[in-house]
Amino acid sequence: MSVEPFPDRPRVDAHEKVRGAAIYAADVALPGLLHAMLVPATIAKGRVTAVPVEAALQVPGVVRVLTATDFPPPVQPAGAGGPPPPPPMITPEIAYRGQPFAIVLAETLEAAIEGAEAIRPDYAPDLAFTPLIDSPGHRREPVEPITAGDAADAMTRAVTRHSAEYVSPAQHHNPIEMLSTTAFWADGVLTVHEGTQSTSGTKGAVGRNLRLEPDQLVVKSPQIGGGFGQKGTPQRQSAIVAHAAMLTGRPVKLVLPRGQIFHNASFRPRSRHRIEIGADATGKMIAVRYDADHQQSRSGQFPPAEYLEAAPQMYGFTDYHGTAANVRIDTQSPGYMRAPHPHPSCFAFESAVDELALMLEQDPVAFRLRHEATIDPIHNRPHSSNHLHSCLREGARRFGWDRRTAAPGSMTLPDGTLVGWGVASGAYPVHIHPNIATLTVRADGTTRFAAAAHEMGQGIRSTIEQVLVRELDIDPTRLELAIGDTSAAAQHTTAGSWGTGSVVPAALEAASRMKAALAELLGDRQVGGNLHRQLARVKRPSLSVEVTRIPYGQGQKELATFQQGGMALAGPFFPAFTTFSFIAHFVEVHVEPRTRRVRVPRVVSVADCGRVVSPRTAASQVRGGVTWAISAALREVTEVDPRYGGWLNNDLADYVVAVNADIGEIDVSFIDEPDPVVNALGVKGLGEVAMVGCAAAVANGIHHATGRRLREMPFRIETLL
Amino acid sequence: MTDPDAGGPASLIELDRREVLVAGAGAAVALTLETGTAQAQASAGAEAAPPGTAMTIRPRINGRAMSVEIDTRTSLLDLLRERLQLTGAKKGCDHGQCGACTVHLDGQRVASCLTLAAKMDGRAVTTIEGLAEGDGLHPMQQAFIDHDALQCGYCTPGQIMAAVACVREGHATDRASIREYMSGNICRCGAYVGIVAAIEAVAQGRQA
Ligand code: FES
Ligand code: FES
Repeated sequence: MSVEPFPDRPRVDAHEKVRGAAIYAADVALPGLLHAMLVPATIAKGRVTAVPVEAALQVPGVVRVLTATDFPPPVQPAGAGGPPPPPPMITPEIAYRGQPFAIVLAETLEAAIEGAEAIRPDYAPDLAFTPLIDSPGHRREPVEPITAGDAADAMTRAVTRHSAEYVSPAQHHNPIEMLSTTAFWADGVLTVHEGTQSTSGTKGAVGRNLRLEPDQLVVKSPQIGGGFGQKGTPQRQSAIVAHAAMLTGRPVKLVLPRGQIFHNASFRPRSRHRIEIGADATGKMIAVRYDADHQQSRSGQFPPAEYLEAAPQMYGFTDYHGTAANVRIDTQSPGYMRAPHPHPSCFAFESAVDELALMLEQDPVAFRLRHEATIDPIHNRPHSSNHLHSCLREGARRFGWDRRTAAPGSMTLPDGTLVGWGVASGAYPVHIHPNIATLTVRADGTTRFAAAAHEMGQGIRSTIEQVLVRELDIDPTRLELAIGDTSAAAQHTTAGSWGTGSVVPAALEAASRMKAALAELLGDRQVGGNLHRQLARVKRPSLSVEVTRIPYGQGQKELATFQQGGMALAGPFFPAFTTFSFIAHFVEVHVEPRTRRVRVPRVVSVADCGRVVSPRTAASQVRGGVTWAISAALREVTEVDPRYGGWLNNDLADYVVAVNADIGEIDVSFIDEPDPVVNALGVKGLGEVAMVGCAAAVANGIHHATGRRLREMPFRIETLL
Repeated sequence: MTDPDAGGPASLIELDRREVLVAGAGAAVALTLETGTAQAQASAGAEAAPPGTAMTIRPRINGRAMSVEIDTRTSLLDLLRERLQLTGAKKGCDHGQCGACTVHLDGQRVASCLTLAAKMDGRAVTTIEGLAEGDGLHPMQQAFIDHDALQCGYCTPGQIMAAVACVREGHATDRASIREYMSGNICRCGAYVGIVAAIEAVAQGRQA
């Protein structure tokens, strides 16, 4: 097996993207298309009692209005162990402000919008709703603790202790591609075009809602305009639009206005992290207690326990007690947003580590380097690889950390700007799912590879291409990578940084099977040229191979789950080892002395993600993760209006994300050491760990600049004034 | 144009908006390309046209003169995307807040979601599809590839149109100025470092 470092090559789909020729879901042109618009509820909880549709139907161009009575009843939960029910379609019961109660179908987008605005329903509101995590009516629901050793006992031996609470706010993903679904029904098959990281999940949710068999449904998502987890779980509008297409017999397209997306997509819930760290007389961390809770909907499933996972993998302490809880209120269900648990938890934990290092009067890099984790204390197994210390050392070198003076406020620019240098680490679990790939090389010069994967800009097509082009002498310009399409191959959700590690081993094995199949075909004939020429010479139109990859620790059961469109993840706690990706971030913060405006002109990040398959797109992923962290640390929060429920700042003018002027230089490098066991290429995962810990590095930098410790994101001018 | 939801004297704006809506109720769709292909005509004309306030505009889009009958409420972005199948310009907000819909209007960058198609009569519109001469790439497009100034690609057509304008306006003098004058185009993937590098290369004539 070839696991040499990979060369720097351009992003495989960059050419079509710079020409505006890449086709996203809402770009698909279909004759006879109807445009749709949802009508959102303006109450936080209750019932819609009547939906007068006459005014909407009088709008020229409006074809039909569908309300709850036009939809099949919601799918009931499958019971313990079964999959969660799909998002309901349109129901009269309203669980959150902004929930759709009708869909308007029209010949033009303008008519659909006017029709939707013409609908004024009657409500029976339930005014006793719970809008905030600490409003009356919230219900706290603890989950199983995660422990190692005896943290309570070890804490009694600690001579230095730090404890504090850290808060990460509610946030929304806001990929620039808005949620959309286009569906049509033809010849007994429903085809759905949708920007989704989970064509399998969309297929399952639409199929279950509309009671369709798997062979009656195809979902396509070849290019996604950013996902960040928003598009990783079934979307509410998918089955609504699909049902409308089946009822009308015409293609239907819905693009949700961004204001509606804030209410109907998932979001990063507000979370609180109470952390206590104890150090012994030698200044080593020996015990950690971690208690986390987060905002949760009445029936949501996004788990709180994962906040507890990263911290015990980073510094080698063996006495740990983690507890977590859901706090159920009246909101739409929160979900996975980039680095869902490790970003808030490493913000909290890595801030706490910084605070402890300061109490011990130790340099924060040196302090971290005194603590090395080689085992997973929760499961008492070795890490398959852990290069966090190399990341810290290399980052410190590239950043010039040795020029830092320790005292807060001690580094300034001539104009009085306060300079702070902060460091923090991050860890992210490694998962892998099964894959079934087919590879076809043809005499006409084309090649097609089909497998489970989705391209949302992370560069997964570029990683597959790297492997195929290195292993096989094929024409890269005529290589089709058929992913994100349930009609091309069985699909699995692509999220959690498991995409590359779950598909490139299949590409590698397919390539080696292809070489073997070709050798068998040619026998002892000596044929020159690339694979296409060789096939042409022996008058063979094409050659196909299929491979099935099952991750370490899985078997036929997980393979069957995968084939049926379910979630089939192995890791990060494998039978004989535990696998995490790691990163170290070094951040320079400038605080303007009068306005207290915070800028981040310079970041150095060094990642241990196993083997880097596509250096160019990998570096871009890390810059993107750092941009997300700066944005989260300094800008992003979605505010709830407690009077009415729902999100107040539900557009891009009021939900402020990092723009170009907010981002300075970002220096990215990799350890690029393949993990020895986790998969054939030694790939771990990158897209999420890229962000993890960086917000703490900003907070630690602000403390170094100003002496002020900020424990609740985002850090705004008013926080520092 | 004024965004009706953006503030200002509320009653006045409500009135303005309703007038526009009433005037534009219903949509007649018909399109002829004066020097164009039949393809756009067929796809746009296929929809049954409800009666309503329509008007005919004669813009020049990517160098081609055309005559289009539009619903008076239609934005330039929806005209491009839904009628002319020029889907390179993207809708990321429809409120002038993200820049994904950036095109050139008489050589200036505009948010096409905030530009009424009705105002396009006699105007020249350039979209990403018409930026390059022939089949090649504009130097800014090549620079975006070379500096990997994109990830998902969704903001990219808008970024490139804004970038070309940024250089043309004389604002690409240094990195700080590029960052400032490119801040109307959000890249949620966070490809800003590459975007700045690509624009710098073009502005300095390093990009062929
Ligand atoms: S779609 Fe026009 S600025 Fe966002
Ligand atoms: S490349 Fe995805 S938003 Fe810019």
